[in-house]
Amino acid sequence: MKSTFTALFFFASLLASFGQNTCAEAVEVSTGMITVEGILGEEIPLPICAQNGAGASGGMWYLFTPESDAEITLTTSLPENTGIDTRVHIYTGECGDLVCTAGDDDSGTGFLAEVSWTGTEGTSYYIAFDDRWDDSGFIALLSTSEIPVTPEAPFNFNTVALPSWSRTLGIVDMNGDHLDDALDVSPTAVFMSLQSESGAFETVAVASEPATFPYVWSIAAGDLNADGYNDLLYGGGSGVSFMYRGEDGGDFTEWHTPDYVFSQRSNFIDLNNDGRLDAFVCHDVQPNVYYINNGVDLDFFQGGLSDVPDGGNYGSIWVDYDNDGLSDLFIAKCRGGASLANYNQLFKNNGDGTFTEVSEEAGLYDNVQTWSSAWGDFNNDGYMDVLVGASSFAQGGHKLMMNNGDGTFTDETEGSGFDNLSATGIEWVAYDFDNDGLIDVLGGSGRFMMNKGDGTFELFTFDGVTNGPVGDMNNDGFLDIGNQGNIHFNTGNDNNWIKINTVGVESNLNGIGARVEVHTPSGTQIRDVQSGVGFRFMHTLNVHFGLGEETVLDSLIIKWPTGNVDVHTNLEINTFHILTEGDAEEEEEIVHTDDLIKEGFLLYPNPTKDVLNFEFVTRPKAAAVAAVFDMQGRMVFQRPYADRLDVSALEAGFYLIRITDRETVVEKKFVKVP
Amino acid sequence: MKSLSRIFLLAAVFTLAMCKSDDEAPTLPGPEEGAESPVHFLPDEVPYASLSEYGFFTGELKALEPAEDVLPYDLITPLFSDYAEKKRFVWMAPGSAASYNEDHLALNFDDGTVLIKNFYYPQALPSGEPRIIETRLMYKIDGEWHFAEYVWNEDQTEAHLDLSGSYMDISWLQNGAEEMGTNYRIPAEGECFTCHKTGTTAMPLGPKPQNLDKAYAYKDGVKNQLLKWQETGYLHGNIPSEINRLAGWDDPDALISERVRSYLDVNCSSCHLEGSHCDYRPIRLAWNETTSLENLGVCVEPDEWINAALIRIIAPGNVNRSVMHHRMATTEESLRMPLLGRTVVHEEGLALLEAYINTLEETCE
Repeated sequence: MKSTFTALFFFASLLASFGQNTCAEAVEVSTGMITVEGILGEEIPLPICAQNGAGASGGMWYLFTPESDAEITLTTSLPENTGIDTRVHIYTGECGDLVCTAGDDDSGTGFLAEVSWTGTEGTSYYIAFDDRWDDSGFIALLSTSEIPVTPEAPFNFNTVALPSWSRTLGIVDMNGDHLDDALDVSPTAVFMSLQSESGAFETVAVASEPATFPYVWSIAAGDLNADGYNDLLYGGGSGVSFMYRGEDGGDFTEWHTPDYVFSQRSNFIDLNNDGRLDAFVCHDVQPNVYYINNGVDLDFFQGGLSDVPDGGNYGSIWVDYDNDGLSDLFIAKCRGGASLANYNQLFKNNGDGTFTEVSEEAGLYDNVQTWSSAWGDFNNDGYMDVLVGASSFAQGGHKLMMNNGDGTFTDETEGSGFDNLSATGIEWVAYDFDNDGLIDVLGGSGRFMMNKGDGTFELFTFDGVTNGPVGDMNNDGFLDIGNQGNIHFNTGNDNNWIKINTVGVESNLNGIGARVEVHTPSGTQIRDVQSGVGFRFMHTLNVHFGLGEETVLDSLIIKWPTGNVDVHTNLEINTFHILTEGDAEEEEEIVHTDDLIKEGFLLYPNPTKDVLNFEFVTRPKAAAVAAVFDMQGRMVFQRPYADRLDVSALEAGFYLIRITDRETVVEKKFVKVP
Repeated sequence: MKSLSRIFLLAAVFTLAMCKSDDEAPTLPGPEEGAESPVHFLPDEVPYASLSEYGFFTGELKALEPAEDVLPYDLITPLFSDYAEKKRFVWMAPGSAASYNEDHLALNFDDGTVLIKNFYYPQALPSGEPRIIETRLMYKIDGEWHFAEYVWNEDQTEAHLDLSGSYMDISWLQNGAEEMGTNYRIPAEGECFTCHKTGTTAMPLGPKPQNLDKAYAYKDGVKNQLLKWQETGYLHGNIPSEINRLAGWDDPDALISERVRSYLDVNCSSCHLEGSHCDYRPIRLAWNETTSLENLGVCVEPDEWINAALIRIIAPGNVNRSVMHHRMATTEESLRMPLLGRTVVHEEGLALLEAYINTLEETCE
């Protein structure tokens, strides 16, 4: 021991005389081998440009100035360094005011580093190693090569640390201004980093009553009491706590039942379509639970939405897979051992408060081990598709299941790019990150699978960006991501976009469960308003569409959960719109919508509670009749045709309406809701 | 800790009183039909509302003095449960017995078997006196295991049935010196089942030959537990003379690698085992499987990303880069391992894992 100490001391004093212990004393190096005797210098390299954060106590500093523009590579990934754990930062600028150019911790073999950057002739680059993990000596190799041509990412991120912020569990509006804010919680407080129109962020802490079941596995936001401020749900390990926001944005009040719930994904959704938001929570080891809003508080229920006795419920998502205007439930499932609990399930919403399991006929009854799935209309055919993301390859890999529009799905994984994605993960979400009008998938811890529009997806990664809540933290129409204390701001591109917030009136205030359609000359896109996608985080409640180069918006249609349909035809693109239920243009303007042009006939609202309205390109002749049939084909009633038909007497369910003037016949399915 | 449980036993010997229950003892069909037990166990009526109704213990309930036929047992390596100590007992209905299956599998128990596990802190605060928190039962009826959970009252006079789970704020003196505390979790039935199962079948975890094969200080002398069970009539059939028994996780004379493997078997393998809750993850942590470094997770890349630093389940020689270490060192519920049954860090178990990882010199590909 003594001799080692002496040797180290000797080296330290020797090297001190050579410099390289501080930025100011950085040693000029040229390409070739650099021998680093140990991390002996006292100046810690800052800012941190490599992975894995703070924890270093010293550094070694070098300076390299390329003689021509070149790709510069620095590596410690050499056989001589086996077993050593190095980390390096590359800077430009002045000592004391350095700017990160690049950095790396583990890109080499084992724990060794390897980093490349594009160097400019005559620019000096500081190369600083630190002792984040290890202060042993090692050798490094510096080389230059021709600047490679790399495929350009369709967008990029600019990472910003929010002030006084360490963890981002959600990106969702928390102060009622419809702009996304960053969200974090503790057992006794809710933290918000509030977005303002100026672009500055204000961090506030709002007290909460102690959570009986603190946040562990998932968090969801929604306005349970429709007071304009989102309330929260904490999915705990042994139960569920709800946090009701106080009046006018006051402190949070806790509400819970003592029931044992091993929570996984949680969602807010209006389960019984009474205009009040309810809640659903996946139970890991028992049948799922849900909470029906009675207007005062909530009533607890267990059973009816996956009754597999040992659970396996991880990633619930509410999505209208059959375009009947009702949110259906898909559950990504996972379980080891001989159990049926790992088979994914799909429950069809019957519109009368009941649900029917259709997993097998849909082709989604699959035992791939998954914690969440990403739903989106990947091919813009008007039906929601799903990427079932594997958390483990033990029972099969990622599955891209395309919706056939008839209640069934076809496995189109092969050749899609997902068949070659080697990363597994628990978070899978679907968003259009590059605003090209095609929904991409983010999953497998920071793997951006960019939709090429031809059934294939191309992998992109961005240094330091991994899965986290998605939303728009600067209201620029490009989706950003929160990771811990950072927001990765999407730097965007030239593509157009439109973003809306749905404000329900008869429907729940958040408009959760609404289907939003964007119709343009280049096609139709759809989104569902969802609270609770992916596995853990709360993602924005605002609905975002990329429009690519499209500049014409024919219409934006909101099909509200209570059945009202609003058709907006005069919305500006590249704008965030707050749209209130019933607040659309007059009905006459509907004539121009392309559903009407395509089908010659439009029926709304669908689903309906009381009346159906009809629009025709060519109106039926006099003496036309409208007949309503049930799903068994029995006629329920028949009336002389009018532009408006009262169906309030019908029982809830599915019906077919046929309008004929003896020359032409049009038929369409509709849903009567209670 | 061990010396303290011996004090309990000694105290029990002094106050020894074999109070036979006045109740007619129930019997289950079996070769010794007609034999009586002081224990009251009616398959149609269990679980009872209170622990005392079973008659497992004589005298003052909190003394946990076993009734006749209620046999205490101990394990070579116990599950870590927030530093709670445990007193374990087994009772079998007259005529019932267990048989040997494999060293690493729980004994095959008959119907009418009850496993009784009492969780207590020897020096609970503020009193410094022992405090029993909970008594967990597993009992077998019609070929199936069931769970019952009894929560002790403040006065320590009775424990009441509660299968819905609860929390108890508790603090205690650890090793007579360090003050510790936690919001102790008393499990709901679903939590019991999460670990105690194969596929969808409930099963016990502790009483495996590999963990029972040790000496125990019975009232009538020290004896190997498996021999004692045979003598008592609780275990019949052939039992191998050599059992591939666990090393004691805290046995300073055992190899570090064997102590770690023993610790991981007991604390982790209920889920990380083929057929168990988390068998879709690559590691296999049972004693008979961890002779493979790959099963232990050495150099294995994790399925689930935690942060960029944690690139192997066990990174040889590099504790900071090992997922297993990170998960054992945290109390964050969504990251901690084991997932259930622990809210504080087991510093001694963690130190053992650290020592083991530092002995590894493999180079990962």
